[in-house]
Amino acid sequence: MTPGVNAPNASRASHHLGAMTQGVMVVLLVTMAIIVATVAPSLRADASVTGFQSIVQGTVPQFVVRCAFSHSSTDDPIVFPGDPGASHRHDFFGNRTANAFSTPDSMLGTDTSCQQALDTAAYWSPTLFDHGVPVVPQGADVYYRPGPRIDPASVKPYPHGLVMISGDAMAMEPQSTKFVGWACGSGGDPQVDAPICPPDAPLRLKIVFPDCWDGKNLDSDDHHSHMAASVAGHCPSGHPVPVPQLQLTVRYPIHGEGHDLNLAPGSMLGGHADFMNAWDQAELASQVKLCLNRALVCGVISNKAEDVDRPLPSRS
Amino acid sequence: MTITASIRQGIPVNNARTNSRVGGAFVALVLTLALVVSACSSGSSDAKAEPGTKASGHTIAVPADHPSIQAAVDAAAPGDLILVSPGVYNESVNITTAGVTLRGTDRNTVILDGEFKLENGVRVLGANNVTVQNMTARNYTNNAFFWTGVRGYHGSYLTSYRTGNYGIYAFDSVDGQFDHSFASGSPDAGFYIGQCFPCNAAIVDSIAEYNGLGYSGTNSGGNLVIARSEFRFNRAGIVPNSGSYELCYPERDTTIVGNLVHDNSQPDTPAIDVAKLAMGNGIILPGGYNNLILRNQVWNHERVGIALVPFPEDGPKDDIPTGDELTIPCSEARNLPLADKASLPGTVLWDPVGNRVEGNTVSSSGIADLAFGTLAGSGDPLDNCFTGNTFSTSAPSSIETTMACSSPSGSWTNTLDLVALIASARPDSGDYKVQPVPPAQPNMPDATTAPGQPAVNLPAKIDLDSIPLPAKP
Repeated sequence: MTPGVNAPNASRASHHLGAMTQGVMVVLLVTMAIIVATVAPSLRADASVTGFQSIVQGTVPQFVVRCAFSHSSTDDPIVFPGDPGASHRHDFFGNRTANAFSTPDSMLGTDTSCQQALDTAAYWSPTLFDHGVPVVPQGADVYYRPGPRIDPASVKPYPHGLVMISGDAMAMEPQSTKFVGWACGSGGDPQVDAPICPPDAPLRLKIVFPDCWDGKNLDSDDHHSHMAASVAGHCPSGHPVPVPQLQLTVRYPIHGEGHDLNLAPGSMLGGHADFMNAWDQAELASQVKLCLNRALVCGVISNKAEDVDRPLPSRS
Repeated sequence: MTITASIRQGIPVNNARTNSRVGGAFVALVLTLALVVSACSSGSSDAKAEPGTKASGHTIAVPADHPSIQAAVDAAAPGDLILVSPGVYNESVNITTAGVTLRGTDRNTVILDGEFKLENGVRVLGANNVTVQNMTARNYTNNAFFWTGVRGYHGSYLTSYRTGNYGIYAFDSVDGQFDHSFASGSPDAGFYIGQCFPCNAAIVDSIAEYNGLGYSGTNSGGNLVIARSEFRFNRAGIVPNSGSYELCYPERDTTIVGNLVHDNSQPDTPAIDVAKLAMGNGIILPGGYNNLILRNQVWNHERVGIALVPFPEDGPKDDIPTGDELTIPCSEARNLPLADKASLPGTVLWDPVGNRVEGNTVSSSGIADLAFGTLAGSGDPLDNCFTGNTFSTSAPSSIETTMACSSPSGSWTNTLDLVALIASARPDSGDYKVQPVPPAQPNMPDATTAPGQPAVNLPAKIDLDSIPLPAKP
């Protein structure tokens, strides 16, 4: 055991248990495999797919990027490339040049709204409206972590140019809160409906992206099927490459009662977000290698830095 | 925090309660525990065998041997000394080799400069016993000097200024020391030691100015000493706190002794929100446990000189540890299951508990020199106490009578208006990129000739009783 060294999940377990108990681990793994194998495939997709990690920050390896709100437009360079104005309205974070004509190559080396200047990737999510008026987000926090129980050492960086979407803009029924949800503050777990939040933990939209890649395609026709979520700490065979589990948290200055909220697609159920990898690729690879592969916490976004409107709750 | 007899991710989380397990499983657990225990103790008994705990005698010169610091670091073996000559280095240096000493030949002219484009000046990533000394880092969007996930760290004769997050920073790390260092112009804290228990760490003989917070540490403590240092012209001076949003709550067992803490009401520093809230306070402990605040000279604060206050946490991840849970090391606490979500209140209130404020001289505070506040109501036995301080105002009044250390559970009236304390409008954050440039700082002795100094046997022994109340400069 190495006090202070943060080696979570599977690697931590083996770290603690040592060579003599590897037999026990094998038994556990076999047991887990049996459990996984006996679950029906459809159930597996729903029940054992792992998404949102309800953890205390500092528990799992991560690096984080804090981004200011950049701009809004009715563009979507993934779904409607080259077709400005074709989309519902989006809020963009990260790359400041992102528009309908943007490609990963066009964005490389340009300006970003993120604190990490080498993160020139584009992140976007549907605009939130309150009583029909666009809400200007306070910013977005981006967490890069190994997927739940994925061996941190196995995580690879996204290739340059990878794009992905998580969530369904057209959803008419509640989406899985493992991937899409509303929450109060940085610590809140995602919910289907936007909760009424206290002033010191205002509303967030949290989107978790899939953490396994097919290893071949930077995009796919539906912009989803080249990616998949891990299951029980493993990437599925069709999507064998573990990549960082990206969580985008969009922060809104919304708290208390009296709001009439809607998302740009027309329903609060249509939460989603898009990512286009135009990071400085060497820097992204370095962060994955130094922080995730080495199972380290390279930064936290604490609610100490929450945008607070009122400092103290009354206590009754 | 909930202690159960469960095995989480295959890890025995509570030694005592695994007794109920019988047969082979129990034997396996005992063996496992034996291995864990022996691995734990290897830090001290087998220290000589571990790479990087001794200087190698090998020196790598920058730029003579390698043009960049990173190239030299990448070429270094454990225990090597990397000696950097004067120059401005536009680099973000990552160190992953144990026991390296990275040193400038001149603290004021060996300068790492991120030009507001690079994130960190020097980042030590899981590499134990790394020392960084005698240099300056400026203009980074995140931190100047940062250790994470290490055992053994040393930051010495460092200057940091104009950084977007922290200045000199250790996270999830133990057995370390920051000394003779100067941190200025960070919106969060100039110095930060967080997420460790026991930390076994010290900040001594250092200066923090023009930061949001001079010192901050969330969930740190356990042989953690802040001594003989100066915290001036920050929004707030010394501000450790508790919260379940990061591991190893609460903040506890920190000794703050013999510091100069003054004029921490600076309205134009960069500041995260908590720094804005805490503005105008010298030493303020939101939700701290069992801290000692001894013989500090504290003056000129818009609000309170020394304040013990609650930290309300909305949307907590866990409940507040009690009893024996408070002595569980961070390395084990991280494996404990969280409290059932449904059982958690919307807000948990981290009250200050068991803190002792003694022998300080506090003056010229706008609201009170000494203050205690809680939302828990009057007379709760939180065991905080005040004694032997020199001061003129306090809330509650006669604080050394009503909250005397001889009868810490005495009856008192909560007269500190917490809402007024932090609710008024505060100036927006200043731009960290334009904060003052520190004057030249003293060099370490024998920088060009001293051998490499791997960060071992830290923090250095310090006789707390010998540290006097410092006089005003």
